[in-house]
Amino acid sequence: MRTKKITTEEREKAFKSLRKSEVNEKQKLHVRYHVEDYETNDRPRRFLEAFAAILKHSNYRLALEHFIRVSAKCSRCAVTCQVYQATGDEKDIPCYRSELLLSVYRRHFTVGGMLKGRLSGKGWLTDEKIEEMAESFWNCTACRRCNRDCPSGIDHGLITHLGRYILAEIGIAPRALVVSTREQLEGATGNTSAIPVPALVDTLQFLEEDMFEEKGVTIKFPMDVEGSEYVFFPAVSDFLMEAETLMGIAAVFTATGDSWTTGTGYFDGINYGLFYSDRMLERIVKKIDAETRRLKGKKVLIGECGHASRSAKYFLPAYCGGKDAYPVINIMEYTWEVLKNGCLKLDPNIVTEVVTYHDPCNIARQGWIIDKPREILKAFCKNYVEMTPAGQDNICCGGGGGTVSIDEIRPYRTTIGGKLKADQIRATGCKYLVAPCANCKKQLRELVEDQGIDCEVVGLHDLIYKAIIFDDALKVKTPDESEKMEKE
Amino acid sequence: MEQLLDFSKGPLFRLTFAIMVLGLARIFVLDLYEAYRAYRRAGDKTLPWKQITLRSLTWLFPVRQVFKNRPVYSVFSILFHIGLLVVPVFLYAHVILWKDDLGFGIPTLPYQWAYGLTVLTIVSALALIIGRAASRSSSFLSRKQDYLWPVVLLIPFVTGFICAHLGVGPRTYQFFMLVHILAAELIFVLIPFTKIAHCVLMPLSQFIANLAWKFPPDTDEKICITLNKKGEPV
Repeated sequence: MRTKKITTEEREKAFKSLRKSEVNEKQKLHVRYHVEDYETNDRPRRFLEAFAAILKHSNYRLALEHFIRVSAKCSRCAVTCQVYQATGDEKDIPCYRSELLLSVYRRHFTVGGMLKGRLSGKGWLTDEKIEEMAESFWNCTACRRCNRDCPSGIDHGLITHLGRYILAEIGIAPRALVVSTREQLEGATGNTSAIPVPALVDTLQFLEEDMFEEKGVTIKFPMDVEGSEYVFFPAVSDFLMEAETLMGIAAVFTATGDSWTTGTGYFDGINYGLFYSDRMLERIVKKIDAETRRLKGKKVLIGECGHASRSAKYFLPAYCGGKDAYPVINIMEYTWEVLKNGCLKLDPNIVTEVVTYHDPCNIARQGWIIDKPREILKAFCKNYVEMTPAGQDNICCGGGGGTVSIDEIRPYRTTIGGKLKADQIRATGCKYLVAPCANCKKQLRELVEDQGIDCEVVGLHDLIYKAIIFDDALKVKTPDESEKMEKE
Repeated sequence: MEQLLDFSKGPLFRLTFAIMVLGLARIFVLDLYEAYRAYRRAGDKTLPWKQITLRSLTWLFPVRQVFKNRPVYSVFSILFHIGLLVVPVFLYAHVILWKDDLGFGIPTLPYQWAYGLTVLTIVSALALIIGRAASRSSSFLSRKQDYLWPVVLLIPFVTGFICAHLGVGPRTYQFFMLVHILAAELIFVLIPFTKIAHCVLMPLSQFIANLAWKFPPDTDEKICITLNKKGEPV
């Protein structure tokens, strides 16, 4: 099934989406994504107040103080940024984007900057500058690839992260993210997809029946089992959209016999706080901690999701007890471990098509999970090919940093943000594109559809589910077979 | 002229050199102090030390990074940095001066090497200016100081080259020597307050970028109180 290729004309038309003017009209804000109504008066003052409060209570000053001194404007980051490479617009160069915020810091929070500003009477934070930041920080996919090529070690991803945080404090944040987070923290269902617990239980029971029919093995999704080794938090959207991934994970646990559980009190790994507000990041991370505590679990297990894994792995210790925080592992680490131990058997003759692996930035950029999924895939996929570049230097899917959740900018994501990725995927000629991340999956599906690439985007455990071999002891026997076994 | 030369060689040199050393020490210590504060406040104190060390070394000696990205510019940049560090410190004429003041000497550059490296530094600086102006992305990013620095750094090299290798008359020699010393002193004064501060801050970059991601606990509540947002819905 090959869909139509997008012409240059269509691409341009899509990019100049009508919504931009609509939003501008309504919000007095020149950004493409939708923002909830908020106070438009007195923005510079409120921005600076929020900036000052954040500087006071966080560690950002350290980075800002350092970065304003070392930035050499060498523009190496321009070559690594997939957004700039696709748009060619200088305003998309990571160093320029960071300079937007660094210049505010320099002008308003350093003595030298204040003196210079007073003398020249220039450089104040203006409404226009806030608007430019509101647009610019959400054009970035926060993949942090540019950091790897910065001689001065400037982390533009961190600056974008901070910029979005300050903007969110004055009400400028994509509506899609805010609404989901509101439901997660204050809504009746307590998760970003607004799935009520009865619906969750129903879904999982349905999947259990499905798996029994397909595999002839009783595969369970244990719920609220206290004292389990692993408490499972997938990206909650997986329950609606990625049934195969969940089935694969359940199948692995059935094969190994380890104890795991999903809690009905809180079962969402998604943390949009990582994308727009540290305050929300903290609140959501604390919910994971509380649920694990309630279930007396030993470890936090995150499903196939890049940002969920990173926000739990790096921020659970930060907010919930440092060294004493629950250990966090990603499901792929678990599967790799049991495959290595010989507890998991996979049939090498099931997946014969060309398979390639996409590194989600949030788990690969810092070198956390890179080889393990590849080793798993190579163990049972005959036709595994690699994208270049991959691993720590991978190219972002184009929907990173929460932008994938903003449906208003789909044309932007699939024609600009994901352009380099699309070329990479085409070059592999793959049938299965393995992307173990809920955000990457959504973005890549939209990308291959809009760009007319003939491949299927799947999770790692989707393929494992296809190829898993169960011990005979686990298989449910027919009455005849049971009798035979007993006689023997 | 001679008095001026003596003044710039003596008291002015000591003053400007002290400004540079103290200025760099100040920002280095401030950076470390801020890092110490951040580390103490951080909820999670584990840092990827191996990765930090490895990446710091990679960028302090960026040989492997050269051909990945902007190769020509990068090669000239590295040559320029080598010239900037080696020539002023190990030049025979400079080491003699050091020896007079401090009482001990260090190995010096052979004459031909000094000649070659000076020329190479001058060529590299010109190439960097051209490279900066010719590239769309870096010319867009560049501030005034980014163009001025290679030029300012060139002055001592060009004047030093004239004095050392071009056999000029004594009055011309004195003039160029004065420019040579004054330019170097201007550079000393500017270093701690401009981007050249990276000469001492660079080794800390990877450490600081990693540490900055280590957030302090309970910032949510503190910021809510500061911004009067307590109890406000999401």
